[in-house]
Amino acid sequence: MRPELKEYKFDSMLWNTFTSAAKLKNGSDKEYRTMLKYIPYFNGTVAAVLDTGEPGRLFIECIAKYFENYITAREKGFHNAITTFCFSPGILYAMDVYPICLEVLSVAQTFAYRRGTAEFLDYCNEVGYTETSCSSQRGTLGAFLAGVGAEVDMVLTDTPGVCDTNANAFAFAAAYLKVPFFSLDMPPVLVDQRTDEYHNSDFKALIAFLEKHTGRKLDIDRLRLVLKEIEKQEELVAELEDLARIVPNPLPVSFNLMVYATRFLFSGMKECTAALESMIRVASDNASRGASGLSGGVEKMRAFFCYIDHYTNGLRLWDFLDRNGICYQGNILSRSWAHTAPHVKEYRTEAAAYSFDYDDLDSMIRTMANHNSRMPMIKSIRGPYDAPDMWLQDTLSLAKMYSADCIIYNGTPGCRNTWGMVKLLARDTEKAGIPTFIMYGDAFDDRVESWEASQDRLEEFLRVRRLLV
Amino acid sequence: MNSAFMEAAISLNNDYIREWKEAGKKVVGYTCSYVPDELLFAAGILPYRVRGFGATEATIGDTYFGPFICSLPKAMLQLAGEGRFDFLDGAIITPGCDSMRRLDECWRKAGEDIAGILPKFFFHFGVPHKFADYTVKWFVEEINRLKNEIERHFGTSITDDRLRDAIILFNKSRDLLDRFDGLRIADNPAITGTEALAVILSGTTMPRDIYVELLEGLLGALEKSRGTMQGRTRLMLVGSASDDVNLVRLIEGDRAVVVADNLCFGSRFHVDRVDETADPIEALAKRYLAKNECPRMYGEYAGRLKMLTDKAGKAKVDGVILQNIRFCDLHGSENGLFERDLEDAGIPCLKIEREYGPLVETGRLKMRVDAFLERIEQRRQSA
Repeated sequence: MRPELKEYKFDSMLWNTFTSAAKLKNGSDKEYRTMLKYIPYFNGTVAAVLDTGEPGRLFIECIAKYFENYITAREKGFHNAITTFCFSPGILYAMDVYPICLEVLSVAQTFAYRRGTAEFLDYCNEVGYTETSCSSQRGTLGAFLAGVGAEVDMVLTDTPGVCDTNANAFAFAAAYLKVPFFSLDMPPVLVDQRTDEYHNSDFKALIAFLEKHTGRKLDIDRLRLVLKEIEKQEELVAELEDLARIVPNPLPVSFNLMVYATRFLFSGMKECTAALESMIRVASDNASRGASGLSGGVEKMRAFFCYIDHYTNGLRLWDFLDRNGICYQGNILSRSWAHTAPHVKEYRTEAAAYSFDYDDLDSMIRTMANHNSRMPMIKSIRGPYDAPDMWLQDTLSLAKMYSADCIIYNGTPGCRNTWGMVKLLARDTEKAGIPTFIMYGDAFDDRVESWEASQDRLEEFLRVRRLLV
Repeated sequence: MNSAFMEAAISLNNDYIREWKEAGKKVVGYTCSYVPDELLFAAGILPYRVRGFGATEATIGDTYFGPFICSLPKAMLQLAGEGRFDFLDGAIITPGCDSMRRLDECWRKAGEDIAGILPKFFFHFGVPHKFADYTVKWFVEEINRLKNEIERHFGTSITDDRLRDAIILFNKSRDLLDRFDGLRIADNPAITGTEALAVILSGTTMPRDIYVELLEGLLGALEKSRGTMQGRTRLMLVGSASDDVNLVRLIEGDRAVVVADNLCFGSRFHVDRVDETADPIEALAKRYLAKNECPRMYGEYAGRLKMLTDKAGKAKVDGVILQNIRFCDLHGSENGLFERDLEDAGIPCLKIEREYGPLVETGRLKMRVDAFLERIEQRRQSA
């Protein structure tokens, strides 16, 4: 790693970057356009997000606030914890533990810097962590291993049984940094009583761990408030998902990213609610005018992403979709599995969903455990891809429901789990009549395959399959 | 050494399996050391650890698996697709790691395309990733689910008495293997690491009662033998699954001897005992789930480091080889930690990444091992 990278805390720099970015539109439009020239690698992201109006500003403010929270947690007498995108942060907020979500921080870096996370990715390898591991965690983990991030109190994950390379990143982090570690474990089956009991017992063990390492008892009233906020957010997400079914789709392409990122950061907190409400206002306004969310105003086709997006070097995936009139119909990251979600109701999969119960502590813990066990990825790829309520069923039903013209897989080479079955999934979705494309790049590392090369291949697929004439 | 061990180690289908099948009995394969093979034996079924040994290409494996996957399950699928596991009447797939657990879908889907390669009994066996009262409870239920399915499919009955007998027999083999390990770490051992791996892993390919007899014979002979490894550099081999004795042979050459290991086809196979006095299913669940030698059990690094350090001390090793198959992030990453901490403790380490099967990159591996042996030698001279 270059010595100059060790001069500053990477997360403090990002905190300042996003705090400043959120204020860029406070001046005149001329000032704003001028300022963009001074941030040549960040301006694409900033413009794509801020140009959506209030939701974009709130989204960037959320990211800045997130950095502030965990960086300053210790001086405020609170704690922080390295954790993962599919670990619902609600329980942490209820216990004054501020999450440090590695994957979201990696995306923040790929958005802000030309180098993305490259040097932190490589630093992991320098200290013995495999280069074949998932880049989503590695890009930020390297910074913490190098000691250029905030001091960390503990490491938490919930991916054993779902994604080895993810769980392994957190286990490695805890062993390397010598901080306490806890993992929620996921059985291969989602819907059965045995699994429910397992999740519940595991979640109780998590609470005991948090109480031990924070010295605080879980406050039932605070937990109830967090859960009520999560329930409200699930309703808002359901509304956005309903709006996305309209033709033309009134949601700008970047909303999907903003929905899931905001939930990963602030599920159960007012910041997330405010951003979602703002997105609904924009989308509802578009819908009432029959307007497409695409900047060109013409919806040519709809794409469903069956896994994650491509985050390197700004929002170029989203820019590509927007320029070509391709409507973004979501991915597995953005879906809610609350019993009120549109796809849950449409396909009568309530048994695989979760509901809210605030009666007493036990019912709230059960609610949290069920919510957590239905987070993106945790829900869909724990078992065989073709088992009930798993990846194939979810992908096909969502693609059909949101009228997708094609399905696109994008991930990272480190994703052992999906690479072990994506060829089979694609074969089945093609058999079901939906053209399916597998991208071979790395969502977080442009050095694996440049975005330009990925884009060429994607364009070729769309052309050959006559999806975008 | 009795040639039966080596023959079983370097072939997929050996004479013991053939005799077993000729007697009209069933064979069920499993992919991970977290499967309680006592259960199968108690059902009158031969438990067989599925291997990738002998695959010479990956055309079938690559058809179903994606490109960024460990070559061991790809080799297993290749062999299955070529009909080399036709003697299996069943297969049990576990979430030992992500690559291995996706063998479930890949084998099933390959079975739709290539007639006859999918055993009729095909079972996805869940194994928790940590040890706690509630994970043991879940695992007890999972073992019972497996037991019920075996009984239903094969029309057999696994009684508590038969299970206890199997537990006693398997524990006996573990006792013998512990004695065997004691002979391996002698100052001048009478057996190479290559032979030792063959002895241990052959236990996963033959009836356990016969294996016990063979082991008793071997131990008797070894205990009377004079050592032949004096002066060789003493190594411990750690890391990803390795069922290929040729890898150890390559490492040892004529200058080194692998006196200890922590491999799941090696010494991990026989650590701990199943409680012979407790409820047999619960005893199996506790023994198998409490095994923390594999990095799939997250958050247990400190325990594994202590175990390795103790083992290295007892075996008086000069160095440790930490190997992982490419894309095996679990072992690869933990090897990085081991390297840091064992080197800090004064134990030289060599960390290598390889493809499954040593023959694809013999020269590179040999060069690195030789350099490591020289490093150890120089260290010795300067001490």
